[in-house]
Amino acid sequence: MKGQRWETRPLDCWQLAKELRRSYDNSLADSSIVLGNGTTNFYVDWQVAFPAIVVAEDNPIGAMMAQQNEAFARKARLASEVRGWGREICGYHNNCWGAQFLGRTADGKPFPERQFTVPFPCVCDSHIKRGQQCRDYKPIARWTNDFTMYIGERDEKREEAMLDHRNFNTLKQLNEIESVFGQRLDDGKLFELARNCRLLKQYMTNVSYFMTFTPSPLSVKDLYSFFQLGGLAKIGPEKAVHFWKTLRDEVEWRVQNQIAAVGSERFRWIEAHPPSWHFLKYYRYMEKYGAVCLGSQYTHFSQSQLERKPDGSIGERSYPVYDPDMELTTREDAVRFMTGPDARAPHHFKIDEYLRPYALNEFADVFHADGAMFGLWRSGVGCAVTRKEQAMRLRQAGYSVMCYEGSQPGDRVDLDEKRLIDQLDTWMESLGLEKLEDV
Amino acid sequence: MNFRQMAADRHTYAADWKARTGGKVADYFEPYFPEEIAYAAGILPVRVLAEHEPDVISDKWIYGACFPARDMINQFLRGRMDYMDGLVNVEGCQWIFNAYEVITNNKPALFRHYLFLPDYTDSTTSKDVLRSELAVFRERLEAWTGRDITDEKLDHAIAVYNENRLLLRRICELRRADRPVLTGSEYMDMLLANQVMDKAEMNGLLEQFLRELEGRQPGRDTIRLMLIGSETWNSDLERLVESLGGNVVVDELDNGTSYFWNPVYPQKDRLMALALRYLGRPHNPVKDNNWRRRPEHIFELAEDYHVDGAIISKQIYCHLHGTDNYAVWRLLRERHIPFHYMERDMSVPEEETALRLEAFLNQVRAGATRLAGWHRKAVL
Repeated sequence: MKGQRWETRPLDCWQLAKELRRSYDNSLADSSIVLGNGTTNFYVDWQVAFPAIVVAEDNPIGAMMAQQNEAFARKARLASEVRGWGREICGYHNNCWGAQFLGRTADGKPFPERQFTVPFPCVCDSHIKRGQQCRDYKPIARWTNDFTMYIGERDEKREEAMLDHRNFNTLKQLNEIESVFGQRLDDGKLFELARNCRLLKQYMTNVSYFMTFTPSPLSVKDLYSFFQLGGLAKIGPEKAVHFWKTLRDEVEWRVQNQIAAVGSERFRWIEAHPPSWHFLKYYRYMEKYGAVCLGSQYTHFSQSQLERKPDGSIGERSYPVYDPDMELTTREDAVRFMTGPDARAPHHFKIDEYLRPYALNEFADVFHADGAMFGLWRSGVGCAVTRKEQAMRLRQAGYSVMCYEGSQPGDRVDLDEKRLIDQLDTWMESLGLEKLEDV
Repeated sequence: MNFRQMAADRHTYAADWKARTGGKVADYFEPYFPEEIAYAAGILPVRVLAEHEPDVISDKWIYGACFPARDMINQFLRGRMDYMDGLVNVEGCQWIFNAYEVITNNKPALFRHYLFLPDYTDSTTSKDVLRSELAVFRERLEAWTGRDITDEKLDHAIAVYNENRLLLRRICELRRADRPVLTGSEYMDMLLANQVMDKAEMNGLLEQFLRELEGRQPGRDTIRLMLIGSETWNSDLERLVESLGGNVVVDELDNGTSYFWNPVYPQKDRLMALALRYLGRPHNPVKDNNWRRRPEHIFELAEDYHVDGAIISKQIYCHLHGTDNYAVWRLLRERHIPFHYMERDMSVPEEETALRLEAFLNQVRAGATRLAGWHRKAVL
């Protein structure tokens, strides 16, 4: 390979990741389980403490649809639109719930209808409404929670009522799921989940930290294959911890031995929020220039967990996500643990952009990035909000930033793929980089 | 009463008010903003209204946003709102939040506050968290203005605002008549002016307007329409409807009837009274999450005001209405209420919209289709 500077090789844990993902996909089609829609908790996967409850989001299902079967995704979006949905609604939702209206999935199987929903308002407006869709469609059970936030310095006194609100709603929801579906929540297992989550978070943070090294042991393509496991793709606590430990160990070994994700790495770039899922090939294209994508605050486990410390070192962000010393004896304890002591967690990666206009500058600094490429998404408010201002601030800090337009998981034809490739060439050439095969 | 001009002159009004009273002006975006608390602190709460103006400024700061959010940034960066001393954002729409963030980043000297109002409005604990947030807001305002917000001052503010709501409701009630004495455009102009003026002054004008209306002859017999959807920022659409032989007799807009529909029921705990008022108001899509009240509220209004049909007008890039419309369309279809759906930005393309609306009005004109007169067909 021309321009190779580092050794590169596939990850050993790929096979394990694929098996875990397959088991998650199969679990959604299991007729013996009660399928719900919504979120559980990023680290404490409470559904596992029920005998037969699976909670699935419309993401990643909707995200993958445009990539797997664009023709079907278009039909799904049309089915949504004729029923009142806006054209600019995020494709995660338009694709997934359009398939619900059609009654089938992209591979022709019956659409797995939800038996309950847990709408969880979030800083993304599309997400606020997502859990409501299947309840508007059919009279299923629903429980709601809130995403509490404010701007400014942390104010623990102010947060008390917010935390009580969130904890009450989660506790109510778990107790009522027991009554509605006649399934007993195993509190012992819930405590175990909470204990495991500390490890899970630690391993994820470690993997993120290792990507700050040069050469980067992983690229964002790898991260996208993994970051759902134990997160949105629920696989159970033991399996999740085992997988992330395996990955962490392997990535650490790659750093020690300078095994690169992209052997020709000479330009490091970041993104912000999800890519055009139906056109992931641009990552490979950028590798022709020796450019590796390190991801975004979105891919780094939704929390952009690293920060530059006053002494110049890189370390874990100082805000608390969970209280590691908390004693768990009751279900309420477990719920309070899950919510955490910080009323604005766990979506710091979004709040950051409001709280700190320079959040992405810090991200670029921590990951030793040379530039950034931002998708400006016409559908999906949460992925577009603040993006232009962030790009401007990165440029002011000396980073080269390239923006392009598209519709993220929405309509594939909304992204001019050829134009994007042209833009990439121009961007790279403007920075004095040539395709390595041409050098 | 030229309410339209009053809304257009809002910047001058606010600057004059400041010079006249020596008070501070706090702008806000969301109609969930608890104006009473600011008013009790001697502050003039002014709703940021968007308008239509060629914009070459906001694109640098914001992408893909609804046009009102962009225009608010445009107006601010052009210096139209220099009189503003503070800006408050209540948890709500994300594009507006982006506008808030851009404006406050551009003028750090502004008093800024983010007030969390639960999106899950129906929880047992929603009122407690909102009450707590209102207490924080009161403290912040006291620190900023150097004035105590006493219970007496809150009582006075609540009384002024309740009076305002009552007057607006009385005027709205006149629209139930078969031949209403006021048009939809007059009514919308009045509501927009109301949101930028000192309520004590506005109440005097509303009383005067009410007397004027009571002396008017009944208006034309027209097709009665309801306006549903994203907030509106001018009365252009209503005017267009009127030019085609229709009249918007009721709306379900966030800055329309929803703004004044429910009063504060005074109680000893003033902040709890306010919390209950704002959690109990007719909700917009972002707040109508668990117990879905919005579709039924729309239906109640349609029945009460005997509408012949509805116009659903959505701002382009309004994700909230874009997802909520499924339930609204479904309800209207199930109950055979004809509706016309349209997207718009800050302007209404006149020829195109007129053509489409004319076709719709022909559809609902009595006797023209099976849908016409749906509300008169009930056999008891």
